[in-house]
Amino acid sequence: MLIGIPANQQRNETRQPKDCSVEMSGYLDTIAKQRCKASFAKIFSYFAPRLRSYALKQMGNEAIAMELVQDTMSNVWQKAHLFNAEKGSPSTWIFTIARNIRFDMLRKLQNRKEDVCSDDLWPVLCEQTADTKIAPLDEQITLEQVGQYFNELPAKQQRVIEAIYIDGKSQQEVADELEIPLGTVKSRTRLALQRLKDMLREYD
Amino acid sequence: MIKHHPSESALRSFVEGALPSTKAILISAHCDMCPTCLSKTRSFTESIAVDMFPDLRQNPTILREYISMFESITNDSTLLNPSYSQTLDTRITLDGREFVLPATLARFADRIGEWSHLAGKLWHASVNIGGGSLAQFIYMDRGASVPEHTHKGNELTLVINGKFTDGGKCYESGDFIELNQQHTHMPTAENYEGCLVVTMLDMPLHFTSGWAMLINPLSQLYFKVNTNN
Repeated sequence: MLIGIPANQQRNETRQPKDCSVEMSGYLDTIAKQRCKASFAKIFSYFAPRLRSYALKQMGNEAIAMELVQDTMSNVWQKAHLFNAEKGSPSTWIFTIARNIRFDMLRKLQNRKEDVCSDDLWPVLCEQTADTKIAPLDEQITLEQVGQYFNELPAKQQRVIEAIYIDGKSQQEVADELEIPLGTVKSRTRLALQRLKDMLREYD
Repeated sequence: MIKHHPSESALRSFVEGALPSTKAILISAHCDMCPTCLSKTRSFTESIAVDMFPDLRQNPTILREYISMFESITNDSTLLNPSYSQTLDTRITLDGREFVLPATLARFADRIGEWSHLAGKLWHASVNIGGGSLAQFIYMDRGASVPEHTHKGNELTLVINGKFTDGGKCYESGDFIELNQQHTHMPTAENYEGCLVVTMLDMPLHFTSGWAMLINPLSQLYFKVNTNN
């Protein structure tokens, strides 16, 4: 029995999947920009029952299946602005959200205390633009800042860092010069860099 | 050029979310590096989505049993968790060289343990990926070789940077290698600059025992030297 929020369009003529996909993309866009409930109702009325069948097949439990439907549709409602029609169809985007939620739910159900979550594997809900453009930590730090912390390093580490990063010597050259094993040069370098990194994080 | 890829069926299972997380991490990291597999996973995702939502004709109305769900979603003013932060340090420095980690592994960068000397020109550091599973970074310095060994579960390896040979095959940056317990092998780094790989055993229990043996300086069984050779 069908009741509730009526859709404006009740035409049932056959349309190309492509057209439907464009239309669905349009709804996602209106949801993102205007929090439009009518648009969300169209997406919801189509996807929710189908997600339920998928979830039931996968999880085999009605309550859990409905939880998956609800979480997926909440994500669609709240994160519609992250949908990018150039990267795929609305179906693909929504499947990906459901897959990720299922993955995280299974993880919790099996009580595996794994830290791996769906975001680690399929970062679909992230802004996927420009993230690689962010300068890594070591490029955002000015030399003065480093210099300030550099003085706090133990003298032995300072000598190694200075020789390698300021004089540009190889680790082998430093080892020969200071008459210490190469492994020691390596570990001092590593410790010093780690220490600098820690200090930068701490005082930031 | 990347020559060694996960199988099609592994990629498909990855897309479905059906793989154990250790393997999924390595495949995800491989896809960060391999445009071919990335595009395959995209097309698998699309074909699954089409199967799942075959006909985008709209349902005219929301079914009765979903009304309250619809209302609670649209009336909920609290926001879900904010998007995952991607401001990550994606590089690690080793031997004075910088290595860029694939995005998937970069997420675990802050969980890389101390580097320690293993044997010869080999260095390693473990990465805690949770659930008792450890991944290991292994750095083979120029000319290093891992003594011949075999292991219990499947061993998965991704070459992050550099080049090594094993059993007559040459592996380069981005290559994905899956070995099972039937393989006995002896990887050798020939590259001038050395080679960084990340490796995982897909059976955490076996890996833990391998790990325990590894950190015991008296019995390096994991990298046991085959003295018959």
